[in-house]
Amino acid sequence: MDPMEVFKIEVTGEEEFGAKKYRELIMDILQDLGLIRSIGRLYVYVDIKKPFFSVYGLLRSGIPPLTAKDVGDVMKVQGGYQIKINDEEHMADLLRVLWERYGRERVDQPARDVLIIASDSSPADITVADLEAEFLQDLTDALVRIAPEGFRNRRNEMTKDSFLFIAAEEQLTQEIVSEIKEKIREMENA
Amino acid sequence: MLEPVMFTGGLYKHDLIVELVEDLGGYILQKNVTQSEIILLILVPSEDKDALEALAKELRAELVRAPLAGTETAVVTPTLAIHHLPHTACDIAEYLRRHGSKTNMIGLARGVGREIAQINEYETALINEHDAAVFIYGNFQDCIKHKEKLYQNISIPVVVTGGPQIEAKELPYAFDYVPSIGRVAHRAKKATEIGTLDRIVESVGRALDKTRASIAKDPLTTSPPRVMDAVREQVPDVEFSYSPLPIALNLTGVRVKLPYSRYKEEVAAVKFDEGVRLGEIASIRPSQMKEYILVRILPSSETGFVF
Repeated sequence: MDPMEVFKIEVTGEEEFGAKKYRELIMDILQDLGLIRSIGRLYVYVDIKKPFFSVYGLLRSGIPPLTAKDVGDVMKVQGGYQIKINDEEHMADLLRVLWERYGRERVDQPARDVLIIASDSSPADITVADLEAEFLQDLTDALVRIAPEGFRNRRNEMTKDSFLFIAAEEQLTQEIVSEIKEKIREMENA
Repeated sequence: MLEPVMFTGGLYKHDLIVELVEDLGGYILQKNVTQSEIILLILVPSEDKDALEALAKELRAELVRAPLAGTETAVVTPTLAIHHLPHTACDIAEYLRRHGSKTNMIGLARGVGREIAQINEYETALINEHDAAVFIYGNFQDCIKHKEKLYQNISIPVVVTGGPQIEAKELPYAFDYVPSIGRVAHRAKKATEIGTLDRIVESVGRALDKTRASIAKDPLTTSPPRVMDAVREQVPDVEFSYSPLPIALNLTGVRVKLPYSRYKEEVAAVKFDEGVRLGEIASIRPSQMKEYILVRILPSSETGFVF
């Protein structure tokens, strides 16, 4: 079963097999990169004679930025605050933002997963990483992997809740872009 | 008639197998030691295969036919990018290897795309040094037909693989077309996928048989394994080559992995029991691969004798 609400793929010419295989391929790559849950709808339109490859997707609701309290437990202790790290993946990012905010001399790390900040202001709401930016980066990587190799003229229009990716061998003209947009609108309304 | 077989067993007492093969007049083509296991690729006279089988059974080892042993296959992808590797290309290469072939993976410099795909003279010459080539294409019928231009100047048999069903006659320059293995992003593990790999092996096997049949019409002056044995004996430096397989066998000769400029005379001077030298019965030229030496044995119609 598709984890997405809508997943349509259309290839011009007699390429039913190609369309079916690309469906599997897109699923495999999105799953590998852990992106599949963040995409709600996906429309793929390919014309292999011209040739170009396009993907339009609607993203599920935005991902909030990661804060210090998501990474570990923040507690008030004598002389400051203590963070007990639960998710070490973002340790480096956390240290970087704490150093920036409080200065190195006020951030102490007595154990591998414990940080003590000598300050009166709580670090709980400090932003550690912008997951949305990371997600968009991963998504671009996935789209480049999905597009057939050699389609090196690319256009990537990303907004907060959707993306349109076009890749072609020849230069992208205004006609091609509007043809793709038209087609995708048709697929959406069908 | 020599029969290609693969021996897989323990390292302990494997020298008995080596000795037996030498006594029977066969050849050890390749020796791979992995900790306490050993894999030997062997050519053994078909009438004596039973003796070898009996000894393998005694040693609790496995002996299977390796139809592609003693040949070199090129596995060609449009490039060495994530789109083709590791899944399709490595699966095919590994599967061919399991059947005894030596495979080289070749990624073209500019093989990508539909209209812009191209192959250059060097790449063509490099692929032509092999016995057969497998070209790995994708999922779109139109592209597979269009990209015929990449292999139409290649003189060895080319097996094309791709996703959709296409009649073999629609690809006149290919020896065969194997469908249902286009671009995939996961490892081949389902029964149908393994079946497709089997079909590729079978198809490459047929391509090699065709080459063998055409060689048989004008037989080579001597057999490549014999040249390999003689070179190994008389050019001892070959054992110090860093390659895992210092002498690679082809259907029409061998590739000696030593620098051409320093060793060409030494290889040409290799002498056989019959009194002839290798330089007299074979052309010795630089290989397209690194700076190796390519030995191509001349047919009997050129030398006037067979031994």
